[in-house]
Amino acid sequence: MAVTQIKPTQRVSASGKRTLADLAHGPEAIRLLVDAILDYAIFLIGPDGHVLTWNQGAERIKGYSASEVIGKHISLFYTREDVEAGRPERILRQAARAGRANDEGWRVRKDGTRFWADASVHALYDHGRLYGFAKITRDMTEAREAAERERQLAVEREARLAAEEALRARDRFLSIASHELKTPVASLQLAVDALLMSRQRGILDQGRIERGLERIERAVRRMSTLLVELLDVSRLERGSTEFHFTDVDLSDIAEEVIDRFAGVEPNERIRFDLEPTPIRADAARIEQVISNLLDNALKYSSQPDPVYVRIAPSKEGAAIEVRDRGVGLALDRKDGLFEPFSRGDNSVSVPGLGLGLFISREIVAGHGGHISVESAGDGKGTTFRVTLPQQPPRNGDGGS
Amino acid sequence: MGARRVLVVDDDPTLRETLGEVLTDDGFDVRVAWNGRDALEKLDGWNADVVILDVMMPVMDAFGFQSALDQRPEPSPPVILLSAAPGLASAASELGAASVISKPFHLQDLIAEVRRVVGPMNGTAPAGV
Repeated sequence: MAVTQIKPTQRVSASGKRTLADLAHGPEAIRLLVDAILDYAIFLIGPDGHVLTWNQGAERIKGYSASEVIGKHISLFYTREDVEAGRPERILRQAARAGRANDEGWRVRKDGTRFWADASVHALYDHGRLYGFAKITRDMTEAREAAERERQLAVEREARLAAEEALRARDRFLSIASHELKTPVASLQLAVDALLMSRQRGILDQGRIERGLERIERAVRRMSTLLVELLDVSRLERGSTEFHFTDVDLSDIAEEVIDRFAGVEPNERIRFDLEPTPIRADAARIEQVISNLLDNALKYSSQPDPVYVRIAPSKEGAAIEVRDRGVGLALDRKDGLFEPFSRGDNSVSVPGLGLGLFISREIVAGHGGHISVESAGDGKGTTFRVTLPQQPPRNGDGGS
Repeated sequence: MGARRVLVVDDDPTLRETLGEVLTDDGFDVRVAWNGRDALEKLDGWNADVVILDVMMPVMDAFGFQSALDQRPEPSPPVILLSAAPGLASAASELGAASVISKPFHLQDLIAEVRRVVGPMNGTAPAGV
C-alpha cells in the first residue's frame, strides 16, 4: 500500500458529511489523484536522491511497495552499468541546473527484469533553495517493442520487395535473353536448311554457297557478341574486369566504329564531328561504349533520321556525345536505364539484351569518367554524353 | 493465275533474305520488309496471299502492323507469326493469326505451313523438284 494513499473516510467535513467540493479543495486531493494514477510512476525525491513518496503507478511499474523504497536512493532503479556511470546523480544535477531533465533508458524492476523507461525529472525550488525533485516515469517497453517489431517488419518487407524485384528482373532477363539467343540460332538454322535444300534440289550454285556462308557467319557473330555481353556483365558486376590503358585518340576509335556501322546501315544516317582527342584509355573498351551508344541511337530511331556522333577534347579530358531523333525517353526512366536488363518503356519491340548501357556505364566508371543521358521527353530523341578524364585512375592496369 | 505472293516481315536481315531466296526458289512471288511500317508500304498495290510476320520489331511491331492492316478497305491477308518472343500463343490469338511458328524452326515446316495457308499451288512449279 502506497503511503500517500489517504482514505477519504478518515477526514470528515464540519457538517460531518464529506463532499466532493471538500475533497477537491483539500490539500490531500492532489495526493489522492497522483496516487490513483496507475500508468505513471510519480514520486518525490529528496535533494540527495532519496525517495520520499511512492504512488500506485510506481508500485505497479517498478514492483516495489512504498515501504520498500521510501528512504532508498534512486540508484536502486537503475542498471548496474548506469549506476557505475553515475547516471542517477547526473540526471538529478541536470534537472537541478536546467529545471528539468529527460531520462530515457533501461530500468530494473524489483524482480530483476528490465523495462524501458521514459522519465522526466523536475527540480522543485522554493525561494531559490532546491528542496527536491518530482520524477514521472512511464513504462514504454511495449511501445518500444511494438516500434521495434514495426521496424523489423518494415526491414523484412523491404527485403521481400527487393527479392521479388530481383526475381522479376531475372525472369525479364531470361525472357529477353532467350528471345535474343533464339533469333540468331533461327537465322543460323535457316541458312543451313536453305543450303541443304538447294543441294537436294540440285541448285546449290556458287552464289548460294557464298550467301549462305555470309549468313552463317553473321548469325554466329551475333551469338558470340551476345555471349560476350553476358560474360561482360557478370565480370563487371563482380568488379573483376581488367582495363588495359594506353595512349589513344578517341576520334580514331570512333571512326572505326562508324565505318563498321556504315557498312550495315545504309542511307548515310550516321553524321559525325570527330576532333583529335588524345587520352589514356582502354581502346577496346571505349570502342565498345561508342558502339553500344551508336547501336542504341540507330535502334531507337528510324530511317532516314540521322544520328550524330561527336568526339572532342574537354577541360576534364574528353567528351563523347551520341544523339538521335528517335523515340526519346520519359524523364523518370533516366536513372533506371543504366541498370542491367533494364530497357526504356519505348523498347518493347526493340531487340537487345538491355545490357549495353549497363556495360557502358561500368566501362566509363572504370576510366574514372561519367555517363549521362538527356531527352526532351517521349518521342523527342535522346542524347548520351560521356566524359572521360585525361588520365584514368591509378587502380587500373597502368600499361606502362 | 500467277505465283502465290508471300510477304516476309522480319527485322533480322539474315532471316529475311534467306527466306526470301528460298521461297522464291520454291515458286513464290516474294517481297521482304524489315518492320511493320515497311511492310505496309510493300503491300501498297500488291496484295499478299500470306504474310510471314515477326512479332517484335523496331518502328512498328506485329500489333501496330495488324491494326493498320485491319483499317484498310481490302481484306487482310492471313498471317503466319514467326517469332522467338515469349507468349507467342497469346500474341497469335490477339492478332488473329492463321498460324504460329516459333524460332528456331525447320525450313521444311515453314514451307509446309505457307502452302497449307495459301492453298494448293497452281502457279509456277517449285524449282528443281
